[in-house]
Amino acid sequence: MRGVLGAVLIVLLWEGSARGFALPSYTLPAVSEILGGIWAQRADLLSGGATTLLEALLGYGLGTAIGIALATVITILPWSRTGIMPVVMAVNSVPVAAYSPLVLLWFGIGVSSKIVMVTLAVGFTVFLSALAGFDRVDRRSVDLLRSFGAGQASVLWRLRLPAAMPLIAAGMRVATVRSLIVAIVTEMLGARSGLGWIIYQAVVQIDFVQVWAAIFVASAISLAFFGLIGWVERKVIFWR
Amino acid sequence: MPEPMDATSPLLELRGIDKTFGAVQAVRGLSLSVPAGEFVTVVGPSGCGKSTLFNMVAGLDEPDTGGAMRFKGRGCHARELLGRVSFMPQRDLLLPWRNVIDNAILANEIEGADRKTARAKALRMLPEFGLTGFEAQYPHQLSGGMRQRVALMRTFLFERELMLLDEPFGALDALTRSIMQRWLLDVWERHRRTVLFITHDVDEAIFLGDRVLVMTARPGAVKLALPVNLPRPRPAELVTSPEFIAIKREILAAIEEESMKSFQSSGMAA
Ligand SMILES: Nc1ncnc2c1ncn2[C@@H]1O[C@H](COP(=O)(O)OP(=O)(O)O)[C@@H](O)[C@H]1O
Ligand SMILES: [Mg+2]
Repeated sequence: MRGVLGAVLIVLLWEGSARGFALPSYTLPAVSEILGGIWAQRADLLSGGATTLLEALLGYGLGTAIGIALATVITILPWSRTGIMPVVMAVNSVPVAAYSPLVLLWFGIGVSSKIVMVTLAVGFTVFLSALAGFDRVDRRSVDLLRSFGAGQASVLWRLRLPAAMPLIAAGMRVATVRSLIVAIVTEMLGARSGLGWIIYQAVVQIDFVQVWAAIFVASAISLAFFGLIGWVERKVIFWR
Repeated sequence: MPEPMDATSPLLELRGIDKTFGAVQAVRGLSLSVPAGEFVTVVGPSGCGKSTLFNMVAGLDEPDTGGAMRFKGRGCHARELLGRVSFMPQRDLLLPWRNVIDNAILANEIEGADRKTARAKALRMLPEFGLTGFEAQYPHQLSGGMRQRVALMRTFLFERELMLLDEPFGALDALTRSIMQRWLLDVWERHRRTVLFITHDVDEAIFLGDRVLVMTARPGAVKLALPVNLPRPRPAELVTSPEFIAIKREILAAIEEESMKSFQSSGMAA
């Protein structure tokens, strides 16, 4: 309720200052102007939004799967940690966006390069949180399961995975927003469609209402995705 | 060469067991022998190596080389006992995402038992553990005493000849504790397992045990093994009987001596 009130207040303030100070649209267009722009461009924004969402979702799914799988391998085969961790840390020490020129070069300016970039970004986030979750498990609980004759796989499935769920879910929640940001930024660097591409085109054409329209659509998608994962998280991790 | 299993040999036998953690010697020259069906209680000053003893018998920690460990009349490494001894650690360690029934059948599930069958069996055992109607509750919804009973049920359902219980009632209030003690004896008389039971409560040790082992201060070893020849079933008033008091006096004297030793040695170190 308070959140809704806050949002309404911000919109009113925004609308009031944009109109009251008669700001030019390259500084700050009024909210009503942006909403009008969204309506006018609804077909483009819809297809652009669909492309971006598809890239983000596919990359998100792949990244999550790879992140959890890699953390699982390191946990089951402790000797593999010394081989994998330095490589992961070296790759991760540079912001993901720095890899985008290379990825664009290798995978072209179509959808696949965006998916690869999102996969990378989401993969690191989820990998690190999953690994932290697996490592955090109480040693005494591991010992209890071992005393029942459980092997590594059984301990992972019955103990480490559920115990790591809160941290994995937190990583996945952060990764929702990141997946959209990375998809859009990569689109801005080279694409044939998508919200990032629309933003880039609008900037070139000095159409700031359209820039804002695309940003609004992107935040709406991002918030919905974040909210959905948060909702699933609360359903799945009921014991907290 | 496999040694023959002989009916008169004890279920568990330890000879001259040592265990060192880095610079700390937790256990030195520990020997004990537990015949099948006996209820043995272990008391001793805290930090004397009681849990370390259990970790070795449960197969979780290997003793230092030199000692000998025999289970069912056969010499063995500690790790060979994994999955063969029913172990209840000091904390209940219930899994918060499993309800009462699924926590209770955890060990059976790990052994590969059919989940449905295991659940049905656990469900039938609920009344005996005072958990009727709580099968679908989660650990955070239970009181300390109930959590402990779920952990005990998990231990009982993992049907092994030897049960290791590490201070199962340590965190309970005095009243709940005495109810749980009588209840445990009742369950034990019906299921007849061999039990090793750690406690820091001398009354509890005598009330439950066929034999009380008093451990020395660290490094731990058995200082005194005292049979408790009191008839079963044991009534609650037993703790005020002269026989009981006589045993208690002897045990307290032994513990006192050990506590003084550890107090003096830590005093000297400080
Ligand atoms: N895994 C371990 N690593 C290092 N020291 C340990 C470990 N387990 C136990 N110890 C030490 O061994 C001694 C005996 O501990 P423990 O067996 O837990 O005593 P208690 O009789 O209270 O159960 C203590 O000094 C403890 O600090
Ligand atoms: Mg202990």
